[in-house]
Amino acid sequence: MDVKLPRLGEGADSGIVVNILVSEGDRIQKDQTILELENEKAVAPIPSPVSGTIQKIHVKEGDEITVGQVLISLVEEEAAPQVSATGKPETTFESSKGLPRPAAEAKEEAVLAKEYRYEAKSGVPPPASPSIRKLARDLGIDLTRVQGSEPGGRITLKDVRDYIQRLQQMAFEKRPVSREAFLRPPESIDFSKWGSVTKKRMSPLRRTVAARTQEAWSTVPHVFQFDEADISALLEMRKKYAPLYEKKGARLTLTALALKAAVVPLKKHPIFNASLDESTQEIVYKEYYHIGVAVDTESGLIVPVIKDVDRKSLFDLSRELGEVAERTRRREVSLGELQGGTLTISNLGGIGGAHFTPIVYKPQSAVIGLGQGTLKPVVRNNQVEIRTMLPMTLSYDHRLIDGADGARFIRDFVEALQNFNEENFKLEGK
Amino acid sequence: MEPLKTQIVVLGAGPGGYAAAFYAADKGKKVVLVEQHRRLGGVCLNSGCIPSKALLHSIQLIREAKSSTLRGISFDEPRIDLARMRAWKESILDKLGQGIAGLAQRRNVEVLHGRGHFEDSRTLRVETAEGQKFINYETGIIAVGSKPAMPSAFDLGNKRVMTSTEALELEEIPNGLLVVGGGYIGMELGTVYATLGSKVTVVELLDSILLGADPDLVRPVMRYAQEAFKEVRLKTKVLKMATSGRQIKVTMESEKQRTEELYDRVLVCVGRVSNCADLGLENTKVERDDKGFVKVDAQKRTADPAIFAIGDVAGGALLAHKAAREARIAVDAITGEASSADAFVIPAVIFTDPEVAWCGLTESEAKEKGMQVQVAKFPWSASGRALTLDRPDGLTKLIIEPETERILGVGIVGAGAGELISEGVLAVEMGATARDLADCVHPHPTLSETLMECAEVFYGYSTHTFARKRTGTLLKEAAR
Repeated sequence: MDVKLPRLGEGADSGIVVNILVSEGDRIQKDQTILELENEKAVAPIPSPVSGTIQKIHVKEGDEITVGQVLISLVEEEAAPQVSATGKPETTFESSKGLPRPAAEAKEEAVLAKEYRYEAKSGVPPPASPSIRKLARDLGIDLTRVQGSEPGGRITLKDVRDYIQRLQQMAFEKRPVSREAFLRPPESIDFSKWGSVTKKRMSPLRRTVAARTQEAWSTVPHVFQFDEADISALLEMRKKYAPLYEKKGARLTLTALALKAAVVPLKKHPIFNASLDESTQEIVYKEYYHIGVAVDTESGLIVPVIKDVDRKSLFDLSRELGEVAERTRRREVSLGELQGGTLTISNLGGIGGAHFTPIVYKPQSAVIGLGQGTLKPVVRNNQVEIRTMLPMTLSYDHRLIDGADGARFIRDFVEALQNFNEENFKLEGK
Repeated sequence: MEPLKTQIVVLGAGPGGYAAAFYAADKGKKVVLVEQHRRLGGVCLNSGCIPSKALLHSIQLIREAKSSTLRGISFDEPRIDLARMRAWKESILDKLGQGIAGLAQRRNVEVLHGRGHFEDSRTLRVETAEGQKFINYETGIIAVGSKPAMPSAFDLGNKRVMTSTEALELEEIPNGLLVVGGGYIGMELGTVYATLGSKVTVVELLDSILLGADPDLVRPVMRYAQEAFKEVRLKTKVLKMATSGRQIKVTMESEKQRTEELYDRVLVCVGRVSNCADLGLENTKVERDDKGFVKVDAQKRTADPAIFAIGDVAGGALLAHKAAREARIAVDAITGEASSADAFVIPAVIFTDPEVAWCGLTESEAKEKGMQVQVAKFPWSASGRALTLDRPDGLTKLIIEPETERILGVGIVGAGAGELISEGVLAVEMGATARDLADCVHPHPTLSETLMECAEVFYGYSTHTFARKRTGTLLKEAAR
């Protein structure tokens, strides 16, 4: 039979042969490692699904191989009990097709497998026959991690094999870089040495924010582009239309205006609306414009997403934004409303401060940070005038976007705010 | 003289030592086995398990004959020929000893007779009949075993004060025999002498005989002893012994009452001590605990990386089958296999009348450790086979983990319990549930049925008993 490279997990469709551990003519056992395969994630042993004698090896070290490629040809052995040198029959493993199951099928179990831990009230080790315990010892498998399928939780050979396959699969799976690991310093510091302290556990939300920003900060090479927009005209218009909006139950905020304005540069520079798929090394351009809005809640930062910003009127955006922000503060938004953003706007202007450098919200490629608009003397038409200037920062992922594009994008955004079309304010037929 | 070079040297040819030597040889190692006694086999074969069981079998007929009268067959008083009994017993030991020697030869295990003494971590000096021999080895396995303890207060240098070793020689049948210590050795040998006609008094320091066995398993043995022995005295301490003519004067204390009594012989069975003295362990890195046993890790490696220790000398249960298992563990470790560090089940058998056997968790142990278990019991008075054998004085019990119904321990008292316990070992080792045991058809009429019925008791439907309280999940299942 021909032994082919099995599918080992998501994003592990190919790899480079680093070690071939068998030679032609070798008699190999089922589950014996044929070769080791390296991909971006790990080096993994590829076991033989059957026992037999190798006729031909079809790959060599250094080859890049893909799923389904033939690795070796071998003559299968009869599944008769093997007699070892000591004259005792060896354990014969029940026959199985051997190859790991497709990733999708086992994925859900894999998640469970990570968590499983056998615990008996009586404190005894998990039930397994001596032969299985011996096998586990040989392989260095902790049986308390293996979920037994038989009555009383007894562990069978199949359970151990499934467990190993899941482990292998997990080894190949995309790892969202151990979140907790980043957060934990090697040892605890005793701050009470220098004065009294109060300790409080990090909330789950805080931990999520910490993990996500940490991950983004350590994987995304950030570039920060600063600028200012003259929003005097925009504010004039807002002043004019705000009461009207108010009457209809919508607050006309600068964030809503920024949402509307951001679509213009986004459409012109699609890379800012794109994401990098790290596992496939593809740039994914999105044809929808869902913009996340950072909301300051009592428990921390939450970023709900306003969908299809390009297709909504300023009025609709204002109303939706107010409503979503309110629900977010009450922690009533659903997980679905927090996903799918293509760009994020973080407006701290309501609080104060000028430029700040927001962190890209992975897997988005850019984030716009708005400070507080303040009156400043600016030179216009060779005259010093007092205008309301809005400080802003564009943070973006340098893996996708270069500095020139960054400058072009922020200029176009500034333009969109400065030349905001009054038509946008009008309530069509409302 | 050029020292002998070998990969493995095993010191002591008992059930641990010869098992280790043979297994290592089977795995292709060059092995030298050193034994100071002429006959291989260690204490087990020469002055333990085998001779005691030979004697127990011989005397069994006397008891059978007595009870047979009620069943309609009667015999005259038995005539006892101690010399023939000894010779028969010796013939077994010779056969087994020669068997071991033959097996060693066929495996090319070199056997050296003589006392071994460690010169350093890699050299053993052996005092053979042909003079000193030195062995350079890569790995040493100490399997020198243990010997009966003889407290100095009892050690009068008088042959009337015996240990099990001398008692098994069966020099005479004393009229009055005092057995100091109601453990399994004292009770087994007490049974032998009592059946042969001695008036046996057993003195035990604790409040029960057969320490380690569950009280309900001990009860039938205690009943037998009370009838067959002159007396079983619990919570009694032997203070002193002195030679008094052809007798031994023994001073005992029981609840502050001090008594002095005369016995024709005294059998001291107060435990065993390791045979570590004069081995030259001080020339190695081997360490010993405060009881004198060699300290070992889970793979039986001593503090000296080149030396392992197995069996009695490494402490724990002083049982031949434990030693034999440890031989495998040590040799596997030496040959680089992942060897068993996890706990395995060591069954225990006491060859009293009736026999007591258990494996895995005992009820007392569960109680001690505060473990939540359920116990199912099946009395042999409900077993047809036990009645046909005229031995209804038995009990089979299972210790069960309630959530999983897994069998954690098995305890049996009754005729042939020692043979029955192996099914329990298999059940515990395989992680069997009470359901597994209940669903295995056991042949009728046999004593083995008591195991199946006991599992059925757990579910509340044992045919031959009626359980008011159902502990298993039968009801739940019926509801589904």
